[in-house]
Amino acid sequence: MKPVSSRRASLAPFGLAASFALAMGALTPGSAQAAPFKCPHVGGDFVFGQEANVNSLDQMTSSAISTRNIALNIFEELMTRDSNNHPILDLADSMTESPDHLTYTFKLRKGVKFQNGQKMTSADVVASFNRYKKVGLARSMLVNVDHWDAPDADTFVIHMKKAQPTFITQLSSFSVPIVIIPASEENDPPQQLKPIGTGPWQVEQFVPGSFVKLKRYAGYTPNTHFDNRTGYGGYKQACFNTVTFRIVTEPGARVAGLQTGELQGVEDVPTKSVAALKKDKNIDLLPLKNWWIQITYPNLSAPPTDNLDFRKAVQAVLNMSDIMDAASDGSYSLNVGFQYPNQPTYTDAGKSTYNLHNAALAKKYLAASGYKGQPVVLLTDKDYAPMYNAALVMQSQLQAIGINAQLKVTDWPTSIQISMHDPKAWNFFFSGWGTQPAIGPIDTMAFLAPPDAVNLPKDGKYDPALVAAWNGMNDKPTEAERQASFAAMQKIVLDKVYAIPFGSLTKVQAVRSNVKGFVPARIPRMSNVWFAN
Amino acid sequence: MGSIALRRLASALPVLLLVSLITFAMIHLIPGDPAAAIAGSSATPDQIAAIRHNLRLDQPLLVQLVHWYADLAHGNLGTSLLLGQPVLAATLARLPVTIALSLYALAITLLIGLGSGILAALRQNTWIDQAAMIFAMLGISVPNFYLGLLMIIFFSVDLGWLPTGGYVPFTHDPLGWLATSTMPAVSLALLLAGLLARITRSTMLEVLRQDYIRTARAKGLSGSRIVLRHALANAMIPITTVVGIIVSLLISGSVVTESLFSIPGIGQLLTQAVLNRDYPMVQGALLIVTALLVLVNIGIDVLYAALDPRVRYDGG
Repeated sequence: MKPVSSRRASLAPFGLAASFALAMGALTPGSAQAAPFKCPHVGGDFVFGQEANVNSLDQMTSSAISTRNIALNIFEELMTRDSNNHPILDLADSMTESPDHLTYTFKLRKGVKFQNGQKMTSADVVASFNRYKKVGLARSMLVNVDHWDAPDADTFVIHMKKAQPTFITQLSSFSVPIVIIPASEENDPPQQLKPIGTGPWQVEQFVPGSFVKLKRYAGYTPNTHFDNRTGYGGYKQACFNTVTFRIVTEPGARVAGLQTGELQGVEDVPTKSVAALKKDKNIDLLPLKNWWIQITYPNLSAPPTDNLDFRKAVQAVLNMSDIMDAASDGSYSLNVGFQYPNQPTYTDAGKSTYNLHNAALAKKYLAASGYKGQPVVLLTDKDYAPMYNAALVMQSQLQAIGINAQLKVTDWPTSIQISMHDPKAWNFFFSGWGTQPAIGPIDTMAFLAPPDAVNLPKDGKYDPALVAAWNGMNDKPTEAERQASFAAMQKIVLDKVYAIPFGSLTKVQAVRSNVKGFVPARIPRMSNVWFAN
Repeated sequence: MGSIALRRLASALPVLLLVSLITFAMIHLIPGDPAAAIAGSSATPDQIAAIRHNLRLDQPLLVQLVHWYADLAHGNLGTSLLLGQPVLAATLARLPVTIALSLYALAITLLIGLGSGILAALRQNTWIDQAAMIFAMLGISVPNFYLGLLMIIFFSVDLGWLPTGGYVPFTHDPLGWLATSTMPAVSLALLLAGLLARITRSTMLEVLRQDYIRTARAKGLSGSRIVLRHALANAMIPITTVVGIIVSLLISGSVVTESLFSIPGIGQLLTQAVLNRDYPMVQGALLIVTALLVLVNIGIDVLYAALDPRVRYDGG
């Protein structure tokens, strides 16, 4: 277990912890060699228009993007992801994996203080993991963990029941991260965590439904192993005095706020406003490609979608360009896979099934399926316009080959409840998978894998080939093998039509032109961003 | 008048009880999973199940109802599933915002609605009457959401006079409050001002044809004295009824306006609560809003008695 230094050391994205550790034994980023980032200008209040309400800043018990947008500027984790989605150390100074892969030893960065002034120690890390195990939404990631302990104030050790090659990948996930909180908050009830973290921003005022104001945390200790922000970690500096996340749910009001300068940044510009804003020299439009994968999946428990030939007929007739055009108002890219094309884990396995729009082939499959014109329910919602629009176009394409497609439109909470608990009430469900593909293949394919696949395998029986591929993704010792298993699983999903990805939707973020250093990201980073004057 | 108020208060208790029961039944009868709403679109079934368990939504409905009434008996309206804070505190924090906005909108409604209605009646069949009624029709016809958007584009983006949204409490900065509340209040008020103008006009026309108005004119009273002292005073009974309804509509109308202008009022709170199936918040906040509306109606009843002695003599 010889620690090795490497500047900006990071782990590769898809469960590379084991392979890295086998080769290196440890992860210890060395000191940054370049001069660290220094704010060219300090001051001002950056007002960011956020599209969705923030109800809680309890990052452990919320998977909402709106919470994450703010909370990940306040809290930090032991590990996070860099700009290439590779796991990197954040509050940990080093991580060592034992040769038998059963022990992970984290040395904590020294001098880190919480925003209440208290020094961070391993006791706080223990308390954070304890709370997460109790109420954390993704606590299933700890299923193979036997226990953890803190041999001294700067050391935190995780002991595994069995080796899990993807453990570090999951630990560095930003979906529902294990943020480090003061030990005194260990027993805070779900949704009621006091927002005290170690990040560069601390909460000044939180008015639910209106705004959250953060102020620069003067006692912040940056991670000197890096010289600049990378992904959600690295060397972070707060250049504004305050950052205000203002909730502006109405897109027109968001655009107006940006135009008048009341908002200096917004997270979502409606596609229809992009053309007009392009002409405004005071505004910089920042397209964020691959915001989510627009998708539908069939109900495998209900006829006629329990029939493979029927599903193939549906797959064969679909014209993805038309569907994505409607879903995104023209802001999209075609994508066969369950990862984004810019990710190293991307694969186009199964592409021969994608975007066929072949009515003759579809009718052939339809005849083979014995379909007799029974209703095919497309379950969607109007809370997310892309889902509804995709369903609307798909309905007309199915009707064109004689499928009796019927829309069932509800709001999001209702549609998700029906999809999970009423297997007779729907045949296709429409969704958008955004965060999970960004994190990696395991998080994404978990939607379609045991024990709770969203497409409801008939009688709870899973396709053995799919299960084998899923197990390979999780258990194979090398990255290459796990990637091969992922490709195999994607091919199976597409060949057997267990899900139908339409394409990737682009989201446009925007800032006023005097805002510098703002790089569009899934979670807006407020550090290392400043006003030009 | 005191006895009228007391009688009305006593009769309000069963109303509140009934409303609480209906609200509980309705919010639980509509399909939808609060855990799914909280989790967002990308959550896994595992994460949704974890939220449901954390929030004790996996308990039987009857148990949840019993708990709610038991808590209510102790003055506890429960804890919001979404906000994680007491319903009473969250509602009371938002209520002043909506009340202030509603009062501002009510003032505009009364000013425009009463003014244009009286003017239209006094100048019946003239261009003033036509203009006032066209204005009233426009106010009634244009949805306040659309009107609000148009106002944002014109007054904020084009002219730069008013902020596009946000809220400043009156106690912090009265001018800031005025700036952030004017467009929401006007967009709320115009719809109701149109309604009030039409009612005022027709009521005034009816009153102006009465014998006592003719008598007053014959006595040589001034026009303003006839209008204010005799006509308007008698027209106020039906107008007061409409104003009572308008107050209710202002509070319900604030749902849309508060969302558009990012105002943290009760309307926005309730919208989010319903959309996210935040059961305790919907139940508790609606109970408080209902109590408020009941109080407004009691106030209107008392006002009747003040305006019309017959109401007092009939015993209300």
